[in-house]
Amino acid sequence: MRHVVVDPITRIEGHLRVEVQVDEGSGKVTDALSSGTAWRGLELIMKDRDPRDVWAYIQRICGVCTTAHALASVRAVEDALSIKIPKNANYIRNIMAATLTVQDHLVHFYHLHALDWVSPVDALAADPVATANLQTTILNAYRLPLKGPSSGLETEAYPHDFPAATPQYFAAVKDKVKAIVESGQLGIFAAQWWDHPDYKLLPPEVHLLAVAHYLEMLDKQRELVAPHVIFGGKNPHPHYVVGGMPCSISLDDGNAPINTARLDIVDRAINMGRTLVNFYYLPDLLAVGTAYVKAGRVDGGGLAKTRVLAYGAYPIEEYAGTSTKGGGGFFKNLLIRCNGVVENFGQGAANAKFTEITAEDLADPKVFTESVEHSWYNYPQNDNDEIHPWEGITEPKFTGPKEGTATEWQSLNERGKYSWLKTPKWKGKVCEVGPLARYIIIYTKAQKGLLPDMTWAEKMMLDQIAAVSNLLGLAPEAWLPTMVGRTAVRALDCQLHAEINKFFFDKLIANIRSGDTNVANMEMWNPKNWPKECQGVGIYEAPRGALSHWIDIKDGKTNNYQCVVPTTWNSCPRDSKAGYGAYELAMMDTHVQIPDKPLEIAKVIRSFDPCMACATHMYNAKGERITVITTDPYSGTRVEK
Amino acid sequence: MDKRESMWEYYLRKGMSRRSFLKGCVALTSIMGLSTDMVSKVVEAAEKKPLPVVVWIHGHECTGCDESFIRSGAPLASDLVLNEIALEYDHLLSAACGAPFEAHLEETIQKYKGQYILAVEGAVCTKDNGVYCMSGGHTFTHLLKHAASNALAIIAYGSCAAYGGIQAAKPNPTGSSGIGSFVGRSPIINVPGCPPIPEVMTGVIMHLALFNKVPSLDHDGRPKQFYGNRIHDTCYRRPFFDAGMFAEHFDDAGAKAGWCLYKLGCRGPETYNSCGNLRWFQGMSYPIQSGAPCIGCSSAHFWDEDPLTARMPDYGPFGNVDKIGAVAAAVTAVGVMAHGAMSIVQKNQRDKIEAKKHGEQVNK
Repeated sequence: MRHVVVDPITRIEGHLRVEVQVDEGSGKVTDALSSGTAWRGLELIMKDRDPRDVWAYIQRICGVCTTAHALASVRAVEDALSIKIPKNANYIRNIMAATLTVQDHLVHFYHLHALDWVSPVDALAADPVATANLQTTILNAYRLPLKGPSSGLETEAYPHDFPAATPQYFAAVKDKVKAIVESGQLGIFAAQWWDHPDYKLLPPEVHLLAVAHYLEMLDKQRELVAPHVIFGGKNPHPHYVVGGMPCSISLDDGNAPINTARLDIVDRAINMGRTLVNFYYLPDLLAVGTAYVKAGRVDGGGLAKTRVLAYGAYPIEEYAGTSTKGGGGFFKNLLIRCNGVVENFGQGAANAKFTEITAEDLADPKVFTESVEHSWYNYPQNDNDEIHPWEGITEPKFTGPKEGTATEWQSLNERGKYSWLKTPKWKGKVCEVGPLARYIIIYTKAQKGLLPDMTWAEKMMLDQIAAVSNLLGLAPEAWLPTMVGRTAVRALDCQLHAEINKFFFDKLIANIRSGDTNVANMEMWNPKNWPKECQGVGIYEAPRGALSHWIDIKDGKTNNYQCVVPTTWNSCPRDSKAGYGAYELAMMDTHVQIPDKPLEIAKVIRSFDPCMACATHMYNAKGERITVITTDPYSGTRVEK
Repeated sequence: MDKRESMWEYYLRKGMSRRSFLKGCVALTSIMGLSTDMVSKVVEAAEKKPLPVVVWIHGHECTGCDESFIRSGAPLASDLVLNEIALEYDHLLSAACGAPFEAHLEETIQKYKGQYILAVEGAVCTKDNGVYCMSGGHTFTHLLKHAASNALAIIAYGSCAAYGGIQAAKPNPTGSSGIGSFVGRSPIINVPGCPPIPEVMTGVIMHLALFNKVPSLDHDGRPKQFYGNRIHDTCYRRPFFDAGMFAEHFDDAGAKAGWCLYKLGCRGPETYNSCGNLRWFQGMSYPIQSGAPCIGCSSAHFWDEDPLTARMPDYGPFGNVDKIGAVAAAVTAVGVMAHGAMSIVQKNQRDKIEAKKHGEQVNK
C-alpha cells in the first residue's frame, strides 16, 4: 500500500491537495481525501456592507469564473428586495453568463486539462503531413452539426477562425515545440510525467494537433469575452448594478455604453464562440475521448453514478423572485429545467430516481445544510449537525495535519479534520454538481416523461447525448458517469451555451427593435424604501455547477451573507453519515498505473474543473470577531481580539 | 537582467568540473521527464544563455490576474510565454503538479539564484503563522520569503499583492497584506488593479525583455508609463464633467447619453490607472465607457472606501461625516490637499477646480 500526496494540484483555480492510498499490486485506490488548503474569509468581509455593493466584493471570490458570483449576488439582493429587472437586463445578464460558460469551458479543456491527455514531447514524433490529414479526418468524423433556433438573424457569412489543415502549419508548430524542448528551458512544460503510459494512448499526430490548438486557443479565448467588456466594462470582473445593468442603451448617442457599433462587437464574439466550439473544441475532445473509451477507460465516475444535483438554468424572460417569498418566478421560466436531483443513474435511467428542487426547498431548513465533521471548523453541539446556510455557524478550528507540523505538513488526518471546505448536503446527502449533473438530470427526466413541452435547449441536450452515444457505441448510462464523460459533457455544454448566447442576443435585438431600451429598474434603489429586514436567494448554474448566494439584509446593510458553491459540493470532505465527497469518490473509482506518477488522479480531479477559491470561505453568522488585524492606511495597523 | 548566465558559466564561476556539469545535465534531463537520448541536447542548451526565467507564485488570490494576463492582445500571452520568457513555475499554466513540480521550483530557484523574476499574485496571509494559505504542505509566507530573497526583481501583480486586496478589507480575517512590507526588499514593481489591465501586466514583462531593465517607477513602485495619470485626466467623458453634465441615476437620460458618472460614485478622479488611455481589450471599453462608475480598483484599500456608488461625504474611510463631525472634515480636507500634491506632475487648472469641488462637497 502506498500513500501518495499530490500538492499542489495545478491548472486549477486556487490551492488544492489530495492524498490517496494506492494498492500497488492492483492499482486500486482504497482511500482518498481532498483538502482545500486556503481560506480568505470573504463572507465575513461582507458584513455591514451596502447590499448594492456586495456583487463587486463577492465577485472577487474567483477570477476564473468571474461574473458568476456577481450575478448570483445581484439576484440574491433583488430577490430580497422584490426587484423585477427589465427585459433587456435579463437578456444581457444571460448573454454574459453564457459567454462565461463558453470561454471558461474552452479554456478549461485546452489550457487546464489538455496536458493530462496530450504531450508536447510526444508531438515531436508527429508527421506534419499526417497531422494535416488527421485534421480533415477529425472534422469529418467528430463534428456535431447541432444548432439553436433560428431567428432569421444570421450575421455570419461563413465560419471564420477555421482550423488550418496544412502540413506547413503543423511543421512550424512542431519546430517551435522542438526548439523549446531542446533549449532545456521547458517553461510551462517542465517537470510533468511525460513518460506516463497514458500519453501513448494517442498517436503522435493527435499530440501535435492538440498542442497547435492549445496555442491557437490561448490566442483566441480572449476575444470570446468581448461581451463582458462591452456590457460590463472589463474582464475579468465586469460591472453590474442591483436592479439591472449599468450599460444604458441609446441608438442615438455615440457616447452611449450600448449602441449599434457596440452590439456588433458582441455579435462577432458570439459567432466566434460558435465556430471555435464547433470546429475545434468539440471535434478535438471527441477524438481524444473516443480513443480513451475504446481503450476501456470508463472509470472515474464516482458519485455521479449515485447522486447529482442542479438548480435549473436561464430564466427566459424577466421574472419575480427566486424564493417563495419573491414568488418563485425563477423556476417557472427556465430554458433548462434541470432543477432537481437524480439518484442511482449508474443503474440506468429507468432505475434512477428524480426529485425536483422547488422554490420552497430553498428556505426549508432541512433541505440544504452544511456539516463540519471533517472541516477545520467547530459546531457548538455536534460537528456533523446539519445546519441551514441561513443559520450557519462557523468557528475556525485548525487542528493541523496527522504527520508534520501546523506549517509543514506530511499527511493530513483522514480520521479527523482536514479541509477548509464544509460538507454541503441535500436532504442529508452529498451530491455531485456541474455540466455532467445537468445533462444526467435532463436525460433522466426525458426518459421518465417529465419534460413536457420541451424547450429547444433541452431537445438539443438530448440530441447531443444521442449523437455521442452513437459515436461511442455505448448507452448514455455507460459513458456519462465517467471521467471521460464528465470532460466530454463539458464540451457539449459549451456548444449548447454558444447557441444560448445567440438565442438571447437575438431576443435582445428584437426587444430593442420594439423600442424598449431600459436596462435598470431603479425604483428600489433608495434604502429608505427597503423593509427593515429581508432575505433573498440568488441561484445560477455556473460553468462548474449549482451556485447559490444567500443574503440577509437588516437596516439597509448586509447582516449575513452565505455562498454555497459548486466546488464546495464537489470537493467537500467526507462525512460519517453522508459518506465521501465527489472528488474523493471519483479518485477511489480510478485505476492508478504508477503510484509515483499518479497522472490519472490529477486527470480525474481536473475533470471537475476545480475552483478552490470559490469553495473555501467561512462566515460567523453571529458576527463575532475572531482576531482581527486591521491594516487601515489612515488608522494604522492594529490587532483586535 | 545582465546577470543572467548559462548553467555552464555558473559551474565555471563556482569552480566546478566539466564532469560535475555533465552529471548535472543528466540529472536535469531526468527531472524534466525527458528520455536519456535527450542528454546531449540538454548539455548544448545548458551551455547557452537562457531566456529570462519567471517564477509566478500565488498567495491569497482569485486567479483573476492570471486570467487577465492571458487576455493580453499585444503581446499575445503565447508569444510571451514561449519566446520572451521561461515561465518555469505557475499554478495556472504549468503542466506539472505535486512533488516533481515543487522539486522543479526549488531547482529553478537554486539554478537561477539572483537571476529570476518573481511574479507574485495575491496577498500574503500572516495570521497564525500563515496557516490559512498552504500549498505543497508549506505556508505561502515560507515560499514567498524563500523565493523573494533569491529573486532579481519582484513584480507584485494585482491589488492583492500590492496592497492586500479584498481579503485585507475590514475585518481582514486572515491578517492579509500586500507583499512589500513582508518581503522588505526592492525592487518591487507594483502593478495594482483588480485585476490590472491585460496589456499592463504583459507590458511590464515586455519592458524587461525589450529594454533589459525595470521600467521607471513612481513613489509607490508603480511603472510610470501605466500609472502616471488619473483615469479622470484621460477619460473620454471628462468634457461632460467640465461642463457639469452628469448622470444622476443609473439608466437615466444622462446615462444613456454617456455623461459623467461622478455623481454615481465614480472614483476616476482619484484613481491612477490606464483605463482612460489604454482601455481594456485594446481600446474596446472600460467600466466608465460601459456606464459603470469606476470603483478605484488600483488604489490602495479601495474596498474600505465604500459605499461604492456614493461620493463624499458618505464615502470614505471616515464613515459618516455627520457623526464624526468637523474633525473628520478637516482630515478629509488634508487628504484632498495631499492628493493634490501627489498629482503635481499633471497638475493644471482643471485639477485645482476639481480639488475645490471636493472641498465644497465635504463642507456641505
